[in-house]
Amino acid sequence: MKKIQLILLLSFVGHVMMANEVNVYTSRHYDSDEVLYKEFTQETGIKVNIISGKGSALLQRLKSEGKNSPADIFFTVDAGNLWKVQKEGLFQSIQSELVLNSVPENLRGPNNEWTAIAKRARVIFYNPETVSETMMKNIDYEDLANPEWENKIVVRSSSNMYNQSLVASLISNIGEKETESWASKFVSNFARKPQGNDRSQIIAVANGEADLAIANSYYIGIMLSGSAGEEQMAAAKKVKIAFPNQTNRGTHINISGAGILKSSPNQKNANRFLEFLISKKVQKNMVDKSYEYPILQDIQPSKEIASFGTSFKEDQITVKSFGELNPRAVRLMDRSGWK
Amino acid sequence: MNRFSIWRLLPFAVLIIFTAPLLIVLSTLFGGYSENWFHLYEFVLTDYIISSGILVIGVSVLVLVLGTVTAWTVTTYNFKGKKLFEWALILPLAIPPYILAYTFTGLFDPFGDANNLFRSLFNFEDSVVLFPNVRNIYGAIVVFAFTLYPYVYLVSRSAFINQSKSMKEAARLLGLNQFQIFYRLALPLIRPAAIGGLMLVIMETLSDFGAVDHFAIQTFTTGIFRTWYGLYDLQTAMQLASLLLLTVGVFYMVERSSRGDGIYTSNNSTFSPNEEIHLKGIKSLVAFLICFIPIFIGFILPILELGLWAYEVNLNFFNYKFIENSINTLTLSFITGLICAALALIINFSIRYKPGVLVSRFSALLSIGYAVPGLILAVGMVQLLVHFDNLVFTAFDIVLTGSLFGLVLAYVIKTYALANSSIESGYERISHSLDDSSKLLGSSGWNMLGNIHMPLLKTSILTSVLLVMSDVVKELPATLILRPFNFETLAVSTYIYASEERMLQAAAPAIAIVLIGLIPIVLLSKMIRSSRPIENRE
Repeated sequence: MKKIQLILLLSFVGHVMMANEVNVYTSRHYDSDEVLYKEFTQETGIKVNIISGKGSALLQRLKSEGKNSPADIFFTVDAGNLWKVQKEGLFQSIQSELVLNSVPENLRGPNNEWTAIAKRARVIFYNPETVSETMMKNIDYEDLANPEWENKIVVRSSSNMYNQSLVASLISNIGEKETESWASKFVSNFARKPQGNDRSQIIAVANGEADLAIANSYYIGIMLSGSAGEEQMAAAKKVKIAFPNQTNRGTHINISGAGILKSSPNQKNANRFLEFLISKKVQKNMVDKSYEYPILQDIQPSKEIASFGTSFKEDQITVKSFGELNPRAVRLMDRSGWK
Repeated sequence: MNRFSIWRLLPFAVLIIFTAPLLIVLSTLFGGYSENWFHLYEFVLTDYIISSGILVIGVSVLVLVLGTVTAWTVTTYNFKGKKLFEWALILPLAIPPYILAYTFTGLFDPFGDANNLFRSLFNFEDSVVLFPNVRNIYGAIVVFAFTLYPYVYLVSRSAFINQSKSMKEAARLLGLNQFQIFYRLALPLIRPAAIGGLMLVIMETLSDFGAVDHFAIQTFTTGIFRTWYGLYDLQTAMQLASLLLLTVGVFYMVERSSRGDGIYTSNNSTFSPNEEIHLKGIKSLVAFLICFIPIFIGFILPILELGLWAYEVNLNFFNYKFIENSINTLTLSFITGLICAALALIINFSIRYKPGVLVSRFSALLSIGYAVPGLILAVGMVQLLVHFDNLVFTAFDIVLTGSLFGLVLAYVIKTYALANSSIESGYERISHSLDDSSKLLGSSGWNMLGNIHMPLLKTSILTSVLLVMSDVVKELPATLILRPFNFETLAVSTYIYASEERMLQAAAPAIAIVLIGLIPIVLLSKMIRSSRPIENRE
């Protein structure tokens, strides 16, 4: 009884340091990730402790905790978040040969502060019944400002980080002035006030409320799998994907990525954890369960995602640029009236 | 040195702890201002202010109408279902606004369940959409009003019950009809109570993030987060938050001072309960509908939709994690409820026992935490805990950051207003002459509190514990930041699913939030049933 009281007391006042564990701050909330963490524990005997939350909030907690932070790993879904942690100087360089050898250089931090774990593309969804495939062939993000799409485009709010990263990538590629004039015309093509999430945009296109939707690639995989209900599966079957900018710079991609923190109390375990995340088995699992694109070249995307095409040209713009440009992107969207 | 100076010092000590995280936020006002302010001022600040303003005004009007009219109906009339409605009218309190918002879009989006049902019933084309779009400010007003009106209903009802029968008889003799008695006599008399409830509603509306974010409305709160997350500018975000805090603070102070010293203690010896008017036929139906519609929109409808989602995914309720999360949620909310009630009791007693203008002014500040967006409170709290850790605790190998201590403290600060409002209004009904007599008889502070006030305040204390619990169960943003490793509450798992746009999976924890939220509410409703006029002779 005394023992239980002691444990209760300890859990109330704070985190008790244990030897064999790895502490992960993550903004990924996928059930499939939890299964992976369990597997990691089974394989290595290292316990995975998780705190999940919004990227910026976790960063703030990291900063406040300073050198006393229990966090070993920061794992997030938007490159901008990785860049912020990198800029604060909170990451150490990844030393693992395995990581450095298997992850392409453009998918790592400039000094290996972090590594990408998986990729997603921000693509255009269309309904082949209302939009001809020839119109969608060779379409660019830039074309979405053309008057032919008036009242035909749906996209979620500009508060969403995926939209912010997309606009940041445009600023980096075509310049701020061009992007701004693009954005104001693009906004005037909206079929409705930005609302809902990526999935509701896809559903709106499937139901004929709009012709085009901008959304992340993996959502279609989740919807097609049926785990989100019959209705979403039916909607997903009606739409097709167009990968923009294939004849020039390539489609905008974003990453899930992770790095080891300087203050990490369990560096060895953190290293093993990163190596685990980019192992073939885990990569395959991520691809099949969260429908992202793999980082390893020899892993194939899930069959739901592969049905829309496996090889497309990716925008090679560095993660740094859209991390850095994000605030400018937000201000630009405010000015152009993208709610 | 005065023997009882503890009663004078205590409110200040608590005040320091309560306001420290807020002062950390407010201190940003004295820091530098980034160039983002020019941008905000030129392009978005007006939008934030206008939509927050419309939201508050719309919600206030609707909540006052819903709360007072239903309270008047169940206290004045007897009609079919009245006994049920008396307590069922508070059921929407178990539904957090963000969950009602999720279910509203699930129902009323062009291809939502309600529109689909309507189309299949009448065989209409897919292009026919019956229900208007809810993803706008009007939808948000409805969502807030129908989840929060019970705050006004609760206080109005008990105020109506305490109104004297003789007063209404006099009014009737003077030729006022039922509507005039309600509008010109009963309503003005419950103004302080109703406004107290309304303030809770306004604070909750202003600090909400989940619902307005889901409807993509640009309010002050979404602006704060957009500035933080999008512009990477926490300093400016905290400055925006400070402005919101100060605005609410002004509201709050105005409300406090407008209370004046009205006559709130009813003179027990001549109090006689009201007789209910029996309604029949169409009038009974109208009364029934007045009470049924708020419950239908604020409770039955979301439950149906959640049930539908749960059914669609063949909900597996009772796995280990789910039970663990439920226990976490219940324990945390109960502990917080006890702490809040004890604090509110002691502080209200201190103010009464050692009155002073300064103390009562400052004590009003204790409730300000309720108005602070959870995330901002959490940011202030993290910084506060880190200071503590560095100053004292690391020497003992203990870390407060990321402990349940910090989380509970944040909950206490956030929900103290609920406990306080209930205990304060309880105290207002205890006549001061009672204190004077016991002082004359030589009663000490603790003695008076324990043996005289507490028995009289039994109902108020229980109410305050329950109100706090029902609010903690729903709390999300502060929990997300402050919780320890591997610690999830039901609200956290609902959010995790909902943020991944998986409403069907979010249904299980959402239903559990509602069910656990119902426990305090059912207890509360028991008290309501037992507080019918006849028994109510405090």
